[in-house]
Amino acid sequence: MPDWKKVVLERMVSLKLSLDVKEDVIAELAAHMEEIYENARGRGLSHAVALEVAMQEVEDWSVLTAAISRAKSEEGPMNHRTKALWLPGLATLLGASLLLALTQFAGFQPRLVWVGGMGMLFYWPWLAGLPVFGAMGAYLSRRAQGPIQARLTACLFPALITAVVMCLILPWGLAINGFSFFRLVHFGLGFVNWVALPGLALFLGAIPFLRESNLRTA
Amino acid sequence: MTKRIRSKIARGSGELAILSLLAERPLYGFEIARQIGERTGGALNFTLASLYPLLYEMEKRGWVKGRWQANHAGRDRRYYSLTPSGRRQLAPLRKEWRAFFQALNSLAGVSHA
Repeated sequence: MPDWKKVVLERMVSLKLSLDVKEDVIAELAAHMEEIYENARGRGLSHAVALEVAMQEVEDWSVLTAAISRAKSEEGPMNHRTKALWLPGLATLLGASLLLALTQFAGFQPRLVWVGGMGMLFYWPWLAGLPVFGAMGAYLSRRAQGPIQARLTACLFPALITAVVMCLILPWGLAINGFSFFRLVHFGLGFVNWVALPGLALFLGAIPFLRESNLRTA
Repeated sequence: MTKRIRSKIARGSGELAILSLLAERPLYGFEIARQIGERTGGALNFTLASLYPLLYEMEKRGWVKGRWQANHAGRDRRYYSLTPSGRRQLAPLRKEWRAFFQALNSLAGVSHA
């Protein structure tokens, strides 16, 4: 019987993996080929034919080597998360920020809305455009096979970042200026204006891409 | 383009086949390929070259986990079992494929072919 480990190793010299992972892969593939060979022998085939049957399992060793190198690459999980979450999220954030800058540059004025004696600047042209970027974030995440949580996070990324920043600023503001109910309400209004409403606009755009309607392909 | 679509469909169906099998019990590569071939009457066939890149990819995604242990003949084999994350993939994948075949059937009458 052939030394299957040697057979596989000779054909996969360019396998780019750490030594222990490479040994594991070689051992596993060798065991698989050995079983195919033995199975063929068990069916009464000659050594030569059984060997050929086993060797036919791999049409092109270089293609298999490259595919396994890719699949076993340790960077994979990070790459997948980057593709499904961080890149779509950053794209949404960039798009939303550019849109805000653009609307201001183009001279669209925010509407001043009075709520209980407090003024709130309502950036309606920006809010109106946000669904496009929410859709983009969710679409990019779905295209990268992101699960629904990743799609949601990607589409809401600008609102989430703003929420984190505001929550970090609040204690500082209260510590420096002292606690007052007025400041707290003002913060709440700011939260609605910069987190809740943009979040809602982004989410509305993302809805079509949050459904599991696509055929999953890797 | 057609080849790319075919390859994606094969890959997607392979994921479902592997997850479904491993939902029953842990298996090693050769057994996975053999059982898929047998249970589908040869319609789905995994060669070594098509099986392992997919298995490793699924392992990287955290859907399956491989562990060396002795088989019934006392030989060390890498057994794959479903992780909780893999188990969660199963229902949506089945739903997607059901919807896919229904859509294809309504278009091309596949079930009458």
